[in-house]
Amino acid sequence: MRLKLATLALVGSGLSAQSLDPALLLKPPTDTWPTYNGDYSGRRFSPLAHINSSNVTAMTLAWEYRLDPGTGTLTSSIKSTPLEVNGVLYFTLPDHAWAVDARTGRQIWHYQWESHGGIHIGSRGFGMYGSWLYFETPDNYLISLNAKDGTERWHVEIADVKQEYFSTPAPIVIRNHIIVGVGGDSLDVPGYLESRDPETGQLQWRWNTTPRKGEAGAETWPNPEAMEHGGGMTWVPGTYDPELNLYYLGTGNPNPVMAGQGRKGDNLWTCSIVALNPDTGKLAWYFQASPHDTHDWDAAETPVLIDGQVDGRPRKLLAQSSRNGYFFVLDRTNGKNILSKPFIELNWSKGLDAKGQPIGNPDKEPKADGTFVIPALGGAANWPSPSFDPETGLFYVNASSSYSLYYLTDTGDKPEGYGGRDSGVYSTLALKAIDYRTGQIRWTHEYNRGGGSIGILTTAGKLLFTGDPSGNFVVYDPANGKILWHAHLIGNISNGPMTYELDGRQYVVVGAGDTLYGFTLLQ
Amino acid sequence: MKTLVALSLLTAASLAAQSPPAAAPRPGGNMLISRTVPDAAAVERGQKIFVGNCGFCHGTTAQGGDGGPDLVRSPLALDDERGDKIGPVLEQGRPGRGMPAFHLPADQVQDIAAFLRSRQQAAIDRNAYSILNVVTGDREKGREYFNGAGRCHTCHSPTGDLAGIAKKYDAVALQSRLLYPRPRANDVQPVHPQVTVTPASGQAFSGSLEYLDDFNVALRDASGDYHSFSRDAHLKVEVHDPLAAHAELLKKYTDADMHNVLAYLVTLK
Repeated sequence: MRLKLATLALVGSGLSAQSLDPALLLKPPTDTWPTYNGDYSGRRFSPLAHINSSNVTAMTLAWEYRLDPGTGTLTSSIKSTPLEVNGVLYFTLPDHAWAVDARTGRQIWHYQWESHGGIHIGSRGFGMYGSWLYFETPDNYLISLNAKDGTERWHVEIADVKQEYFSTPAPIVIRNHIIVGVGGDSLDVPGYLESRDPETGQLQWRWNTTPRKGEAGAETWPNPEAMEHGGGMTWVPGTYDPELNLYYLGTGNPNPVMAGQGRKGDNLWTCSIVALNPDTGKLAWYFQASPHDTHDWDAAETPVLIDGQVDGRPRKLLAQSSRNGYFFVLDRTNGKNILSKPFIELNWSKGLDAKGQPIGNPDKEPKADGTFVIPALGGAANWPSPSFDPETGLFYVNASSSYSLYYLTDTGDKPEGYGGRDSGVYSTLALKAIDYRTGQIRWTHEYNRGGGSIGILTTAGKLLFTGDPSGNFVVYDPANGKILWHAHLIGNISNGPMTYELDGRQYVVVGAGDTLYGFTLLQ
Repeated sequence: MKTLVALSLLTAASLAAQSPPAAAPRPGGNMLISRTVPDAAAVERGQKIFVGNCGFCHGTTAQGGDGGPDLVRSPLALDDERGDKIGPVLEQGRPGRGMPAFHLPADQVQDIAAFLRSRQQAAIDRNAYSILNVVTGDREKGREYFNGAGRCHTCHSPTGDLAGIAKKYDAVALQSRLLYPRPRANDVQPVHPQVTVTPASGQAFSGSLEYLDDFNVALRDASGDYHSFSRDAHLKVEVHDPLAAHAELLKKYTDADMHNVLAYLVTLK
């Protein structure tokens, strides 16, 4: 029934060669990559196997596209995972959007937004509904473009840049809901997630990531002012289970970021994995990855949906490699914890509470004279996409063992903004393959230098695609971590790799800095 | 080409995501501040007017006081441009909330607005926050750790390489450097890992490590010549990283060790 409604709406918006069939959102990605993670699961696993472990040594460059911002400027690397629909790739940068031919990398159109400000740190890409594309800007506009030619259909403001919000996520489309999130933790604004109407951009619902006075969760804050300035941004796209009709999202850190003395308590629903009804925005359950965080460890990392086995029984699971260094596995029907296990050696936790949530060690909160904390502010993982390969049963993440000094700079009763600083000390990076049933690390590939996390794709071709911190695009055997292929690009890969098949050829596309690369097999 | 360099820097530095690093380049300077920075003289004038007229209720720092709300995080004050939002509030007061009217000339309203914007930007610009006193450890215990459990003395000497170290670096920089003195642009004595590469042919090349990943290695030898090699099973690569002991020690430090060693190092003037 839901599908029929969506199809009708599509007819209403006018079918064209550039239109997305919404049924494709419910299938694993093959000839189409219709949403940020390829499908709703967040697994970033493609069933394509034309490029596979027996022929990947013949993979070569098909094309490259160096970003042309027209009269504008580039303020970020490519963080957007392109959508691929009917042979066209669609992707974004702050204030910019492009369509390029998925077979040649040739630019079809470029759109530029006149900015009113905001932090220009990145743009994670488009959502698509019928013939319409949607993306967010640093000054918090949701913009709808015509996929055919990149002309603007409308724009609506979803947050106020003057309040220090800025927006980076790719909208996620569920039926006739355009789900948009916001970012910005400079000055203690409250976070929220919204659903917008695909035709008009009008608000359908808003879910606040912190309670208001008298609401459930308010008991985890000292007073209404603290929760209304409590942060909790919604800056990484979530995942969706159509059977349960639940949207899963990781929320950001509380504010003030490093000075927790003015917000004593767990600070719900910051640093949490939450399940929401996408039709109403109502909270179904939550699990808090970092109660009362003071280290900027957003729990925003992709909540990956795994249909797996626990104790021999099939289970609907959700896994996250969280910025705070824990690998969590939950029952996604009810949020109950199944597994919480560090995937790096960390030094801030005193163990787990009865709900499986980590217990922070107060000695490791930021102090005026400096506290030495593992992981660093950037975390053990971050927004770059992990991957789950159902054929190996392994969850892959580029994990940063990192060290920071955390300083409390505002020791008063009511700090504002960050209230503290960090100073990065050292890091090492490693690709890790985690068994979701035990949290055991099955294999590790240590890089010889540090850095932040890097996006990953796995495929049925028994291949794992990712980057190393030295600027190489690398293909591994997902079963054992053996390197099968590599190429040195212009810089570190900066988005999640994606793949699609056209005319019987499989392409793998990845962005590095200001260049998008398409790879395929030699013919 | 400059764009490309900047972009690859961004790639490496941008993972803090919600927390843009200070080094991230942005046209126009400070990435965190995207609104006009108010004129310093106006801020100074505005502060005097604010403290005299508003400070009693809103606090002298505008963070809230006896009954008056915080104006640093106030949505209305953030929305304001040169007094256009706070001006009418001052003029009319908030009778329902106990705020009297203030009939101030337009230039004084603008000065107050400049002061509030500067307070907001001071909270926003976290990279400019002042770090407080970091020297809180026990000097003697630091000396013991240096010569004992930390084994610092096996590479360093207070009368040799560390003589006068506290004159070269302030305490905050010293705290970071004692943990891991990663190479920095302004280093007095830069530290480079050394490498010896031995191909199957048997002739070894040694020098300063220029590049190393899973696939290639490059060095510059004592005569300044550059050599690069593809790595395979037959190529022997031995890296000597003089900072390896620092990396090992990071897994063992307690916060007390760190503070004690710092208290000792700041005496080396």
